Amino acid sequence: MAVLNNKKSKASDEVPTSSMADIAFLLLVFFLVTTVFPKDKGLAIVLPEESEQVEVNQKNILHLVIQPNGLITVRRGEAQQEQTVTAADIEGIWRTDVAANPNLIAAVKTHPDAAYRYMIDVLDALQTAGADKISLQVLEN
Amino acid sequence: MAIKGKGFKRKSGASDEIPSSSLADIAFLLLIFFMVTTVFRTDSERPIIWPEAEATEKIDAKKKDILNIWVQQDGTIYMNDQPYQMEEVAPVVGPLYASTEQRLVISIRGDREVPYRIMDQLQSELVSAGVVRVVFATELEQRMTRARR
Repeated sequence: MAVLNNKKSKASDEVPTSSMADIAFLLLVFFLVTTVFPKDKGLAIVLPEESEQVEVNQKNILHLVIQPNGLITVRRGEAQQEQTVTAADIEGIWRTDVAANPNLIAAVKTHPDAAYRYMIDVLDALQTAGADKISLQVLEN
Repeated sequence: MAIKGKGFKRKSGASDEIPSSSLADIAFLLLIFFMVTTVFRTDSERPIIWPEAEATEKIDAKKKDILNIWVQQDGTIYMNDQPYQMEEVAPVVGPLYASTEQRLVISIRGDREVPYRIMDQLQSELVSAGVVRVVFATELEQRMTRARR
């Protein structure tokens, strides 16, 4: 029985580090697979409050009417004449008009049957041109 | 003058194995990067085709203050993986808006072909719920893709 005391433990007293890389890679793969990069981007706009009703002088309004087929017509204030434009033209129109009248408001009137993306195209052009006074409406007959 | 180690006798002292001792360090570095950047998805994506816009910018709000409202092409509305009727939007969003102390930002994720009628109704619902900060979620459009259209 005294022999027992002579027997030495063969187990190492160090933490095994050889599998560390395996553990790390396993966790790495898990996080790689579960990662979703947030896609929170878009065109920000502030909606009017419910009670907010502001009378605006007609001459300060730039009407942008979007038809169901995506055609955009521009009408300035009380003027009757309409001008058919593309979304790319709006940026230039806004810049020249706002230089002449800093109080200008863009009224985007979209036909109920027009696709959402046509409104986005117009909103995009206005925001690219630096417009901040934008009113989104639905076109009424 | 004899040239030492001439010809094929000279052996390279460099090891022909890829050094693997720093592998764990690299793995842990990547691991920490992904741990820090991971955001577990709160709601699953709906099948929509994103509209594109050049002026797309990042939303300046905390993840938990953003509520996604998905509008599919057929006009069905989804919030937090649940379908809702148009009239149910205001009663659901209203209390949420109050609980976040008016910090809630609505991200409208609409399909590009949705008729504007639905978007207008949705905006009216949000206005009646008192929400003012809204983002129309879009994909960033490059000048190149615009030129091709």
